[in-house]
Amino acid sequence: MKEIFAALIFLAGLNLVSVGNCCSAQVLPKKVTISGYVSDSDNGEMLAGVTIYENTLKTGTSTNAYGFYSLTIPAGNYNLQYSYIGYQTLSQKGVIEKDITMNISIKSAETTLGEVIVEGKRTDENVRSTEMSLVKLDIKTIRMVPSLLGEVDLIKVLQLLPGVQPTSEGATGFSVRGGSADQNLIILDEATVYNASHLMGFFSVFNNDAVKNVTLYKGDIPAAYGGRLSSLLDVQMKDGNSKKTGFSGSIGTISSKLTVEGPVKKDRTTYLIAGRRTYADLFLPFAKDKNVRDNKLYFYDLNLKLSHVINDKNRLYLSGYFGRDVFKNPFSSIGFGNQTASVRWNHLFSQKLFFNLSLIYSRYNYQIGTPEDEPTSFVWNSKLGDYSARFDFTHYLSGNHKLRYGATTMYHQFNPGSVHGTGTNSIYSDFVLPPEYALDHSLYISDDYKVTGNFSVKYGLRLSAFQNIGPATIYSYDTEYSPVDSTVYGKNKIFNTYVSLEPRIAFTYILNDISSVKGSYSHTVQYITLAQNSTAGTPLDIWFPATPNVRPQVSDQLSAGYFRNFRQNMYEVSGELYYKTIGNLIDFRDHAQLFLNQYLESELRIGRGYAYGIEALVRKDEGRFTGWISYTWSRSFRIIPEINYGNRYCSPYDKPHSLNIVTNFEISKRISASATWIYATGLPVTFPTGRAVVGNAIIPIYSNRNDYRMPDYHRLDLSVTFKGRADKKWHDELNLSVYNVYNRHNAWAINFVRDANDPNVTYAEKTYLFAIIPALTYNVKF
Amino acid sequence: MKFSSIGFSTIVLSVLTFSCVERINIELDDSYTRLIVDGAITTDTTAHTVMLSSTTSYYYNQVIPPVTGALLTLTDGTVEYSMNEDAPGIYRTNSSVYGVPGKTYTLKIKLAEPIGGYVDYEASSILYPVNTLDSVSLAFHPDWSDDGIWEVKCYVQDPPTEDFYRFLISKNSDMLTDTLDEWFVTDYRFFNGNYAYGAPIAYLQQHKDDEVLLTGDTVKVEMNSIGSGYANFIWEAQTEAGGSNPLFSGPPANVKGNISNGAFGFFSAYSATRAYTIVPDSI
Repeated sequence: MKEIFAALIFLAGLNLVSVGNCCSAQVLPKKVTISGYVSDSDNGEMLAGVTIYENTLKTGTSTNAYGFYSLTIPAGNYNLQYSYIGYQTLSQKGVIEKDITMNISIKSAETTLGEVIVEGKRTDENVRSTEMSLVKLDIKTIRMVPSLLGEVDLIKVLQLLPGVQPTSEGATGFSVRGGSADQNLIILDEATVYNASHLMGFFSVFNNDAVKNVTLYKGDIPAAYGGRLSSLLDVQMKDGNSKKTGFSGSIGTISSKLTVEGPVKKDRTTYLIAGRRTYADLFLPFAKDKNVRDNKLYFYDLNLKLSHVINDKNRLYLSGYFGRDVFKNPFSSIGFGNQTASVRWNHLFSQKLFFNLSLIYSRYNYQIGTPEDEPTSFVWNSKLGDYSARFDFTHYLSGNHKLRYGATTMYHQFNPGSVHGTGTNSIYSDFVLPPEYALDHSLYISDDYKVTGNFSVKYGLRLSAFQNIGPATIYSYDTEYSPVDSTVYGKNKIFNTYVSLEPRIAFTYILNDISSVKGSYSHTVQYITLAQNSTAGTPLDIWFPATPNVRPQVSDQLSAGYFRNFRQNMYEVSGELYYKTIGNLIDFRDHAQLFLNQYLESELRIGRGYAYGIEALVRKDEGRFTGWISYTWSRSFRIIPEINYGNRYCSPYDKPHSLNIVTNFEISKRISASATWIYATGLPVTFPTGRAVVGNAIIPIYSNRNDYRMPDYHRLDLSVTFKGRADKKWHDELNLSVYNVYNRHNAWAINFVRDANDPNVTYAEKTYLFAIIPALTYNVKF
Repeated sequence: MKFSSIGFSTIVLSVLTFSCVERINIELDDSYTRLIVDGAITTDTTAHTVMLSSTTSYYYNQVIPPVTGALLTLTDGTVEYSMNEDAPGIYRTNSSVYGVPGKTYTLKIKLAEPIGGYVDYEASSILYPVNTLDSVSLAFHPDWSDDGIWEVKCYVQDPPTEDFYRFLISKNSDMLTDTLDEWFVTDYRFFNGNYAYGAPIAYLQQHKDDEVLLTGDTVKVEMNSIGSGYANFIWEAQTEAGGSNPLFSGPPANVKGNISNGAFGFFSAYSATRAYTIVPDSI
C-alpha cells in the first residue's frame, strides 16, 4: 500500500516537473489550442466521450461530461477526426495559427440507415482509451433489448454485461463483481439516487426517454467519485432538444410515458419534461385472490431539466427528479420515493481550463400507515437527505496531460425511523429513533497522461474524510453486543473523523492498431452502508453511517485486460481479470433486527471478503446484425469470525457462471427483431439438514451458510419492432415483446412447507414470479 | 409489535399477486442428531410439562422420536421438584406445583444415553410477573378477507419495564393457537408504560373452519409475560418455520434456545393472566 502511494507521489512530482518544462521552454514551434463543444446535429444534445483525434500527430482527447474538449497542437496544418459510437465520423482539416473555438455537431448514424452508408472509420476507443472495467450504453442499445412487460430498463440491460448481475429475478438491484447492491454509487446528473428501484425492484427509477447516456465503472472508478466500494453508475439526463420542440410518448402494457422537450430560445435555452405512470393495479381485478382486487399499486416519476447557454464561457444546468411508489390495501399503505435536484454551472476560465460547480440535493423517504383514527392506527416514517456542493476542474495542460481536480462536501441527515400513533386513544406511545448527522468531504486530483504514443497512464488520488456530528448518543457494547454505556454529544459537535487516501491508477499499452493491454488498481472507501439482510432488499431498508463503532469498509481491486478489435473495429473483443479484497466488511448476525432498532450497530458482524473473476465480451455495434455475447466466471466469498462459525462462506452474490447473448437483427428498414438469452448459476442458499419439532411446529436445522445453490437460471426473451411509415415529422413504432419465451419457472424463492393433509410431511416448494409474459408497447415521437 | 411485518405483508401481497408456486425436488444432506427440549413452568397450579425428543433428517415425515428414560429435576434454587415420565418423552411435575414471579427456575436433564455427545443438559429461566388482563373484546370487519375477520382486542396496563408478551386464543374449549407459528408475541417498545386500550392480538379469519365464531361462543385469551429470551426464540422459530423470500428474508439461521451443550429448544418460565368474552350477534 505504502509503496503505491510513494510511486504515485513520485509520478505526480515527475509529471509537474515535465509540465513546467514544456510551459517555460515554448520557444520552438508555437502551440495553439482548439477547443469547443461537440453536439448531436439533430437535437443539439451535448455528447460526452466523443474522441477527437489528430491524424498526423497521432494524439487526441475526448469530450468531458458536458461535451467540452480542448486540444493543444503545434500551429500549422491540422487534421482532426471526431468519432463517437453510433455517429458518423467527422473530419476537419485546415490551417491554424492561433487559438480557436470549434463547436462541432455530428450526425447520428441512424438517420442515414438504409440510405447511403458512409464507411467512416469506426471508433477504436475500446482499444485506445485509458479506461477499463467500464460499460457505456446509449439509449439506442438499451431500447433494442427485449423487456419485461415492455418497460425497457437501463439497469436490466447493464445486467446483461460482464461482471454485472441482478440481485434476484427481475430485480433492478445489481451486484458488480460480487459486491452487494449498496456498494454501487448511482448518480443522476450528479445527485445520488439512494434507492434506484420502483415496484419492489422490478423497474428502475430511470425513464429512458429522459436519459442521454449511462456509464458504469466496475473497477477503475474515477478519482472524482468515491464513497462506494464496487462501482459508479453515472446516468446523465438529456438536456432537451435545442433545435425544435418535440413530443414523444408511449402507451404500454404496464405504463405510459410522455416527454416534451424543446428550445425556449433556440440554441440557448432548452427544457425537458418527462413523466411516467404505471398502472400495475389495472391487473389486480384479475388476480386470483379477490382480496387484492381493490388494492392500489403504482408508481410515477417526473424528470425535469433546464439548460441555458449564458454566453461562450458560461452554461447553466438545472435538473430535477421526483418519483413515488404507492401500495394500498384495506389495512395499510406504503409510499416511497427519491427526490433529487442539481444546479450546475460550467465556466471556461480559458480554452484549457474548464470549471464546473454543482449544488446538489438528494432525498429518499418512505411512509407506512394504517387507516386513520383507530386506536391502533399508526404511521411509520423514515428518510435520509443530503445537501452537497462540488467543484471540478478539467485542465487540458498540453496534448499529453489532462488533469482533473476538485473538491466536494456533503451534509447527510439520517432519520432511521419513527412511529406515531395517529388515532384518538392511540395505544402507542411515540417511538423515535434519533436522527444522525454526518459530513463527507473529499479532495481529488487525477491526470490522464499520454507518456508515449503507445503508452498512457491515468493516475489519481482522492483524499476523503467522513465526520459524525452531534447531537448523537453513541453506545458502547460488551462482547455479547449488549449496550453497556453511552456517550452523548452536543449539537454540531464533530465527535468522530475518518480520513482515507484513495489512490487510483490505470495504464494502457497499445500493442498495435487493433489491440491493447490495460491494467488498473483502485482503492475505495465506503462510509455509509445499507442495512439490508436479504439478497434483493426492500424499499424499507435504511442507510446508516460509519461511527466510532463502525469503521468504514475498504476495498482494493486489481484488474488486467486485453482489448482487441477485428474487421476494422467492427467487432470489439475484450477480456478482463480482476481480484479484489474488502476490509471491515459488514454483514449481519443471524436473525438480525434491522428495523426500528436503536442498537442497530449491535446487529453488525465485521470481517473481510474477497472476489475474483474473468470477464469476456464480444460486441458488434454496427451493421444490420448487432449485439453482444458476455461471459463471466467469478467467485465472491466472505470470512466473518462470528458468522458460520468463522468459516468462509459464499457471498450472497456468488454466481460462478453467467452467460448473456443479446442480438438484434434489422429484417428490413421497418422491422427489427431482438433476442436475449440468459444463463446463470443459481445463487447460493442455506437449506435445512435436519428438523426439530417445538410447539407443534417443524423448525428446520440448517446447513452451513450458503452451502447449497438454487437451480440454474435461464431464460429467452424475444421482441419485434415495427416502425411506422417514415415521415419527416411523425415517427411511430409498435413493439411486441415476450419475456421468458419457453416459460421456464425460474425459482425466485425455495421454501420448505408442511403438507396440509399430513402435518408430519414436509416438501420443497419453489416460488416463481414470471411465467411467459407478452407485452405490447406503442411509441410515438413528433 | 412488529411494524415491519405490516409493511412487509403489504409488499409481499402485492408481489405475490403475480407469482406462482410449485413443488420441486431438492435433495438434502443429514446433520447430526441433537436433543430437543420443549418445556415450561408457569404461575398456574398444575402439572408442568417438559417434552424431550431428538432431531431427525428434514424429510423424516413421521412423528418426531421421543427421548425416554431421562432423569429430570426442576429447582427454584431452594425447592427441588421431581418430574416423572408420564408418556414416552413427556415428563411432568405433580399437579400441585406453581411458579412464583421473580424466581429463577433451573431444569436439569440426565439422559439414559448420550445425544449429540452429551448426557447432561441444563437450562434456566427467570419467571417474569404480568399485570392482570382487564378485559378482551371483539370487533367484526366484514370487508377484511373472505367472510370477514374477527379482531380480538385486549385491555391491559403495560408497566414501564421491558416486557415481552405472548397471547394464546381459545374458542370454547378448543385452543386455536395450538402451534408455535400461531402464537402472537409482542414487545413493550411501542406502548411502553401506556394503557394498551384495545390493542389487537388476533385476527380470526371466518373462511377458516376452526376460526369461525358463532354468537354465544366464548373467546378466551391467555396473556403470558415471557421475557426477551423466550420471545426471541419464538420469533426466530416463527421466521424459520414460515416462508422466506429474497425481498425481506435474511439468510436462514438456526434458532437459538437456552439449553446447554447445543441442544435445540427452550425451557421457559412465565406468568399467565386470562380474560374472556362472549361472541355478540355479528354485524
